[in-house]
Amino acid sequence: MSWVWRWLFPRWLRSGRVMIGLALVLPVLVLAALAPLVAPHDPQAQDLMLTLQPVRLGSPFPLGTDVLGRCVLSRLLHGASLALWVAVMASLGAMLLGTALAYAAGYLGGWVDWVIGRAVDVWMSFPPVVLSLILMVGLGTGSTSVILAITLVDWTRFCRVMRAEVMLVARCEHVAAARLLGLSHWRTLLREVVPATIPLLVTLLALEMGIAVVVEAILSFVGMGVRPDQVAWGQMIADGRDALYQAPANLLAPVAAIIVTVAGFNLLGDGLRRTLDVRLVEGAR
Amino acid sequence: MTQGSLLVARGLSVEARVEGERVPVLRGLNFALAPGRVLGLVGESGAGKSMVGRAIAQLMPPGFRVSHGTMEFAGADLVAMPAEHRRALLGRDIAFIPQNPQAALNPMRTIGAQLDEHHRRLGVRGRRVLRQYALAALAAVQLPDPAGMLARHPHQLSDGQCQLVLIAMAFAGRPKLVVADEPTTALDVTMQARIVGLMQALQQAHGTAVLFITHDLRLAAGICDEVAVMYAGDIVEIGPAAEVVRASRHPYTKCLQLSNPSFAGARRALYALPEHMPGLRALGRLNGCRFAPRCPVKAEYCLRSEPPLEGEAHRSACLRPGLVPAITVASSLAPAPWRPAGETPVLEMAGVSKRFATGSWLRRGQMEAVRDVSLRIAPGEFVAVVGESGSGKSTLGRLVVGLEQPSDGRIVLAGQDVTAGDEAARLHRIASVQMVFQDPQAALNPRQRVSDIITQALEARNARFRVREKRARELLAEMGMALELGVRTPAQLSGGQRQRVNIARALCNGPRLLVADEIVSGLDVSVQAQLLALLHRLRQDHDFALLFISHDLSVVRHLCDRVLVMHQGAIVEEGPTETVFGWPRHHCTKALLAAVPRG
Repeated sequence: MSWVWRWLFPRWLRSGRVMIGLALVLPVLVLAALAPLVAPHDPQAQDLMLTLQPVRLGSPFPLGTDVLGRCVLSRLLHGASLALWVAVMASLGAMLLGTALAYAAGYLGGWVDWVIGRAVDVWMSFPPVVLSLILMVGLGTGSTSVILAITLVDWTRFCRVMRAEVMLVARCEHVAAARLLGLSHWRTLLREVVPATIPLLVTLLALEMGIAVVVEAILSFVGMGVRPDQVAWGQMIADGRDALYQAPANLLAPVAAIIVTVAGFNLLGDGLRRTLDVRLVEGAR
Repeated sequence: MTQGSLLVARGLSVEARVEGERVPVLRGLNFALAPGRVLGLVGESGAGKSMVGRAIAQLMPPGFRVSHGTMEFAGADLVAMPAEHRRALLGRDIAFIPQNPQAALNPMRTIGAQLDEHHRRLGVRGRRVLRQYALAALAAVQLPDPAGMLARHPHQLSDGQCQLVLIAMAFAGRPKLVVADEPTTALDVTMQARIVGLMQALQQAHGTAVLFITHDLRLAAGICDEVAVMYAGDIVEIGPAAEVVRASRHPYTKCLQLSNPSFAGARRALYALPEHMPGLRALGRLNGCRFAPRCPVKAEYCLRSEPPLEGEAHRSACLRPGLVPAITVASSLAPAPWRPAGETPVLEMAGVSKRFATGSWLRRGQMEAVRDVSLRIAPGEFVAVVGESGSGKSTLGRLVVGLEQPSDGRIVLAGQDVTAGDEAARLHRIASVQMVFQDPQAALNPRQRVSDIITQALEARNARFRVREKRARELLAEMGMALELGVRTPAQLSGGQRQRVNIARALCNGPRLLVADEIVSGLDVSVQAQLLALLHRLRQDHDFALLFISHDLSVVRHLCDRVLVMHQGAIVEEGPTETVFGWPRHHCTKALLAAVPRG
């Protein structure tokens, strides 16, 4: 029976941080995926007769309505689906771009490393918020633009951290040994270097998702994010400010959603760093 | 015998918690060290010898604790006394010399600042007085240019120089006891001899008692008054050093000596103890004599009853001590089967040099690591490269396998010139030469199974899974490893097994030449003997040549037909091993030979 136990409860799960992180993130992910099914109303349907309804469980609008009489709960759920879509896609995009360059820089070294390193330096000298706003102006609003903007701003984060890790692994003797045994550069990279860097990659990915949620909220808060017909948490916060005293849920619900999601991703990332890394796990024994 | 002793262990026992189980790590240790005497604690890794040193400082690793017994220093129990009393003793009356000197010094502060801090703790006051003390301390360990040394940082010193600084610090407070934990293991032979000589001189000058912890019985025999041999947490034999070595009464002591290649007399085969020292987890489950499973003279009752430590001045824990003198190595070493035929050499180097650029782009400099080296290795010949650290031995090995490209000269492997380093040369190199790396921990991918690691050469040729598994089984059998080890990862293997995997991987394709960089230096003597026997056997089966880079001249003498001595990147002497070691001509060779510990 021990293998069943091990399969259901692998070592990387055995940490408070990972468990709490997953407990926060998984429900958000499920609700986001099922938003069209579980949302009680169309998030854009207005009912000007029922504006600023209070929070009352059991009523048709459990979290009340906003200034235009739209269901806050439905908007929250659809907002989650947009926020997580952007978070996942933007993180993957940033990861692909950043790590590809990091592997090239760290493994090949020399002038490749120099060029990529300087590119990262120059890129990081732009203030990230300003850079993303400029990108949004150029790209126009819409969720795809947000994904692209975050990818283009945050790839440096992956590149910096991964390059250091790849350099460390690539200098190990088992990498030299694989080359001496006749493995091609591609194969050496895939078999000897990449597996060793996966734990860090997963960790960075989880952290980046939290960051992407915040960036997406900022962009839609200032009106540079999604199109007006899409629902986003940042937009809800911006709208909710006006009716803060009449219907506080309009503001507090999206704020709470952002906090829960970002805290979940951060805890998950931090926990995974501790449980996935062979060196940390074996060092503790 | 404990009357008037400085350090007395009475039934000292240390326990560890491993996955909820209590495991006895040290079991009822008894020994006494008189003022001004030197006691050697000898044992292989896992014997618990370092734990004794840690028990003195009460710096136990997490999960370990002293469960019974006392460790008395000048009549006071170090285990039971309050921490501030112990701290008052440590550094003043009890000083430590660590194994890794670079790690023991603060990398951010100068040598002078660290010496001053230590002297201030000893009660010295005043800038000029402190400086005088620091200079005197460095002069006492014969460091050149003490004034300049004070301003330097640890990374600007060699490992040996750092160790000298630490020895200076240890003896600065005129301590009553110095605990030296493997102080020379990380250093090369000449430095080792110097450090040991210096410690001896300081010890005798100040009448300090020294607890000398080492894995090298021969080294201990040379400098200690008394020697205690440890095995798996027990003292198995203790007595006057000369007697323990000449008239061993415990089979383990005898086997240790027989498995260490001798430097004098005829070459003989090494005694290969089977298996390895039980690990921490296995310790709790052993009954009877802990050495019995590996013992050559064991009887059935040894596995059941525990032998007491018996005797007067020379005590041993063995139920059948009468059989110990009869333990011998079965056969004498057959003369090397290598026959110098007129075939093309597997390796020919002509005028090879390697220069590294140093400094920044403002001040370019060049460092010549290998200088105009020419050599030939015949098929099946075992050739050793010896020299101090920094003499260019390792760079030479890396040039041969192609990890470095030569700046000048020509390298011909099995008749084909590979100097160019193009794709054709690379393919030829892969087929004809392989490297065994020094540190199996770093050289084996921790995320792969053993079978996958040893057949990695087949992966490059896109071999099928079944072919690879079959080859893996063959290789494991040849290395004398159990087949079920194939599915393990390197972390689950012992040090000796890891090094076998390392060798198996290099042999997978049947290379003509193996380059082995210090492959036995980190291993215990008994494991080293197993590996040396394995190399001898593999040579007969596969007929490969070996370029063996080492600083251990005894091992070189045991294994190799010919030896090259390197100094500052150049080969200064070469010839048949017996000739070079018997009648050295170059002063570097003489210095290396003089540094070999003889016991």
